[in-house]
Amino acid sequence: MLTVASLSRRQLETRLAGPGLLVQTGAFVSRIRSPIRHVADGIALLYGDYPIHGADGFADFHVGLQYPGGLRRWYQPQVNFDLDGQLPFEPLPEAHAFPMLEWGLNWCISTRAHAYLMIHAAVVERGGLAAILPAPPGSGKSTLCAALVNRGWRLLSDELALFRPEDGLLVPVPRPVSLKNRSIDVIRGYVADAVLSRPVSNTTKGTVAHLKAPADSVARAHETARPAWIVFPKYEAGAATSLTPIPRARAFFRVADNAFNYSHMGARGFATLAGAIEGCTSYDFRYSNLDEAMALFAALEAPR
Amino acid sequence: MAASETWRLRPGQTLQYRQWDGECILYNDLSGDTHLLGDGAIELLLALRRGPATRAALAAVLQAEFDLAPAELDLETDTLLHDLQHLNLIDTLAC
Amino acid sequence: MKRLPILVAVLRDPDLLPGLRLADWDLLLRQSTSANLSPTLLALIEEHGLLDTVPAQPRAHLDWVRALATRHRQAVGFEVECIQAALARVDGVAPLLLLKGAAYAMAGLRAGAGRLFGDIDIMVPQARLDDVESALMLHGWASSQTDAYDQRYYRQWMHELPPMQHVRRQSSIDVHHAILPQTAPVHPDPALLRAAAVPIAHAPGLATLAPADMVLHSAVHLFFDGEFDKGLRDLLDLHFLFREFGVHAGFWEALPARARALELERPLFYALRYSRRLLGTPVPDAVLDALAEAAPNRGLLAVMDALFERALLPMHASCSDAFTGTARFALYVRGNWLRMPPLMLARHLFHKAFLSRKQSS
Repeated sequence: MLTVASLSRRQLETRLAGPGLLVQTGAFVSRIRSPIRHVADGIALLYGDYPIHGADGFADFHVGLQYPGGLRRWYQPQVNFDLDGQLPFEPLPEAHAFPMLEWGLNWCISTRAHAYLMIHAAVVERGGLAAILPAPPGSGKSTLCAALVNRGWRLLSDELALFRPEDGLLVPVPRPVSLKNRSIDVIRGYVADAVLSRPVSNTTKGTVAHLKAPADSVARAHETARPAWIVFPKYEAGAATSLTPIPRARAFFRVADNAFNYSHMGARGFATLAGAIEGCTSYDFRYSNLDEAMALFAALEAPR
Repeated sequence: MAASETWRLRPGQTLQYRQWDGECILYNDLSGDTHLLGDGAIELLLALRRGPATRAALAAVLQAEFDLAPAELDLETDTLLHDLQHLNLIDTLAC
Repeated sequence: MKRLPILVAVLRDPDLLPGLRLADWDLLLRQSTSANLSPTLLALIEEHGLLDTVPAQPRAHLDWVRALATRHRQAVGFEVECIQAALARVDGVAPLLLLKGAAYAMAGLRAGAGRLFGDIDIMVPQARLDDVESALMLHGWASSQTDAYDQRYYRQWMHELPPMQHVRRQSSIDVHHAILPQTAPVHPDPALLRAAAVPIAHAPGLATLAPADMVLHSAVHLFFDGEFDKGLRDLLDLHFLFREFGVHAGFWEALPARARALELERPLFYALRYSRRLLGTPVPDAVLDALAEAAPNRGLLAVMDALFERALLPMHASCSDAFTGTARFALYVRGNWLRMPPLMLARHLFHKAFLSRKQSS
């Protein structure tokens, strides 16, 4: 299968500026179009391992990062996220184009793919068992996720836990891991040879950068995983590493609170989430030291 | 409420639920809501799933399953019935 | 007419589906998504037993959509029940008369399959509006218009209360007392509509308009309203209603006379014409002949054909040509013009464009 890396920079730019680049990221194929240099830069740097399809292939999402018409094309240029002719968001400064692509793709999946129960969470897997890390922004989930996938865990996603109702398995959509502010430097220090996009500052989330997903995670993007642990992380400077079990009914509602489409899924959503809670052990996890966090995760026991 | 009042499960409620460690979660087939219920509530619902029952019979179910003083029994029964009705899980049969 | 977009071709003739290539599916789903017709497409595919012929990648999209359609149907059923309970003590509103999407869904009509919509629409006698509004407020609904001008606009000129939203469930209800506003050039009598209303067999306490009236209301809604982003969906409603009721004895024969009684011959003419031309609806020639006098003159008809045939297509780049934007705007102005006299319209559009926005910032 051809990958993005098989294209020369010029070929990449030609596709992006023209008919679009069809990229497969696990369960989804996106057609991406953009004349903006930052988008080509980000894709060239971070998407080398991902399979590409021909121009007349089927794409799940048709997205574009486009300049708006009028003056904002030239004066303090902006970028629009275009979803097949709709502009769901306000424009952003041109420099934010690559993060906008990543947020936009997450939005496409989380607002449409209702065959899955979708939780806002990171998902990592090791030894056939997956840990789900639901977390509101600021909990340190992404730092933890980025560290774990560089210490022996496979990346399924840093933002989207996709549960398949038929069998309760998790479906991967491994894409670049988004990091914010402090965690960019932390990961730069923690991961040798970390491939990071150029940080973009002054976004609504502060400074943002994306970390390339491990090649092995991308290569295994078609492999589902069985959920075993639900871990709510909380980074607290100076805190001792601790793991506290959560009663199942409480865990159920806390996960549902972090779901994109629990209510949309109706009875199926209930059954899928109940199955996940029953098959997993759920914990609150507090940490301040990444090495200790890694050791704790490595020691997690399979649920009985 | 009258002791002879007959209650039933709302038609359409299939009682999809899980009971974990003394807490019960239940999916409401009519409203699409998900509820966190105590043991008393689920016992009443399961009793009604077997068939309509009078208030007196339901009070007896609670008395058999839980440690309730007679004074508490009435209040507990009525409160539960009222709450479950408000949640569209049960209603009364017309006489 | 130009070649039809693939979505329209498939709606006309579902037998085309097994022959589609992957690239065709890609375009079909993009058009159906932009027209909000993906659940309808799914219903059509399932009705014709063609799900197995759909390749895996597009079939996944249909699975995404099935979940939404199921949940939506559940929500509609529950919402209608809550409204019935709220209005149980108001005189003169039982059986509860449902309109549009809610009516199709609760009556189990083909037009309701896979049709997603945002509001529940009901119709009550004008004399009971205050009591209905009070009862709804008592049960948790609140009026969503806070701008004093919009409130007055609604109550004075429109055929409905300002939309109300339930504070906890966030669901919306539109309470109509007529099917067109007082400012419109024609005045279909709501008393006639209510008198002919038909109870829903398996749903005690609920009613819909009579079949002919349901068709006429849908035609009015499509051809008098300004907003055509739902144009194809509304035309599809008409198509399904015509097909479902068309097999009932006497339906076609009585339709022109009923249109005349309600002053709605012109919208019916357009409904029959465009449903037949775009979607291939089997309309007996005799019906169109009976409406010949209600047809516009040839010049106007040519203009209307050009406008509507563009505006009724999916709002997607693949279906547009240079004139489509103009067509939609011209019909938007026409739509609103039909409902409000020109001077009032100018004032209304001005207010909508400037005053409301400033107040809300």
